[in-house]
Amino acid sequence: MEPDAQLVHDCLQGEGSAWEELVRRHARRVFNICYRFTGNRTEAEDMSQEVFLRIYKTLPSYRPSFGAFPTWLTSVTRNLLVDHYRRTKRDRVTDSMEDVMPQIENKESTARTPDKLALESELSAQLQQGLSKLSPELREAVILRDLQGLEYGEIQTVLQVPEGTVKSRINRGRIELAKILDAMGLRPN
Amino acid sequence: MNWNCTNTEERLSDYIDGLLTPAEAQAFKAHAAGCDDCSKMVAAVSSLVTSMHSLELEPAPPMLVNRIINATSGPRKEKVSWTSWFTTPGRWVQPRFVVGLATVAAAVLIVVYTLGFTPSKLRKANLSPLDAFRSANRSAHLTYARSVKYVNDLRVVYEIQSRLQPSNEPSPESQPMPEQQSQPKSGNPQEKSQTGPKPGHSQARTYAMLATYVNSGWVETCNASTRLAFFAAPMSATNRSAR
Repeated sequence: MEPDAQLVHDCLQGEGSAWEELVRRHARRVFNICYRFTGNRTEAEDMSQEVFLRIYKTLPSYRPSFGAFPTWLTSVTRNLLVDHYRRTKRDRVTDSMEDVMPQIENKESTARTPDKLALESELSAQLQQGLSKLSPELREAVILRDLQGLEYGEIQTVLQVPEGTVKSRINRGRIELAKILDAMGLRPN
Repeated sequence: MNWNCTNTEERLSDYIDGLLTPAEAQAFKAHAAGCDDCSKMVAAVSSLVTSMHSLELEPAPPMLVNRIINATSGPRKEKVSWTSWFTTPGRWVQPRFVVGLATVAAAVLIVVYTLGFTPSKLRKANLSPLDAFRSANRSAHLTYARSVKYVNDLRVVYEIQSRLQPSNEPSPESQPMPEQQSQPKSGNPQEKSQTGPKPGHSQARTYAMLATYVNSGWVETCNASTRLAFFAAPMSATNRSAR
């Protein structure tokens, strides 16, 4: 039995320490998915808490046959992020590339606050700026593949789309992200 | 193999991820080498993917794990024994503990020195229970006697003050002129009520009372604070009337 599955089993037996270990083991990864998707640390922290709240409530329904625990956790995270994105869509400026491009100069100047630069490395900040300009479908595919290191099959399970769609989204996401960074004058090396 | 720009763009990720067959990879490279646009695109995306793969995960906020645990299973309830208080690392260097300890030590020193205990005069004999009891008994009686004496002294001071304050007899040298009374500078009626005893009269009465009590030996029993209070009353009255 893999370590995560053992911890899940112990959680279901009522061992509080097992749940704490699960949280400690995966909190950083969940936070990173949320942060890369939302681009906001506070929002990502709230979303991470929401993810684990959902996991805690639905843990009895988890079966190893659904896939490895990290994949299931990523699916829950992704679904909540998509829900959150849809809920807050009206409050945001559209994320489509055509609308965002003319505003890049202004958005860049407001996004590069000293606090942000102090917290993040330059490369991380640049990538985050580019990711925020990507459409949600392409953004999540790139995050899962290139920042979380998931295999195509795992991404297929998380996104619930055919493998061809996964590959296509990853490919288009990478190319668009490179173009966005190039248009912003940012070239990560 | 016939390879064009569309093929290069569509299979770019397969090339980067090493999913092309050798023949496809060779055709891909051959086309990219001869096409400026494709060459730039391949270089940019390859560099981007390499950068993203090398990127470390962002550190999670410090309180995130505790926040999640508190929101889900609730704060952990650990069994804490009383001995853990002493064994907890860093407990003794916490500022609030050090300040508390210093306060307690200062309070103990003040009490000890007030009771007349001097550590330098401590002898082994002083530690016997009988001597300690006798010393404590003596200190308790002395303290009680001092308290009784203090209360009695206060009674004398109040007696003197009560005899001095109610006097309303006007003094000739401080009697204001009738014109001044009829034309007050200020219209505030409270100023009249705030005028204290007349200095000349009060001082005369004070010295008379003082002489009486000196003769009767009461002054010898007054401690320094009561004497100060005794003299402070007429002096403050003088200052008020001068204003």
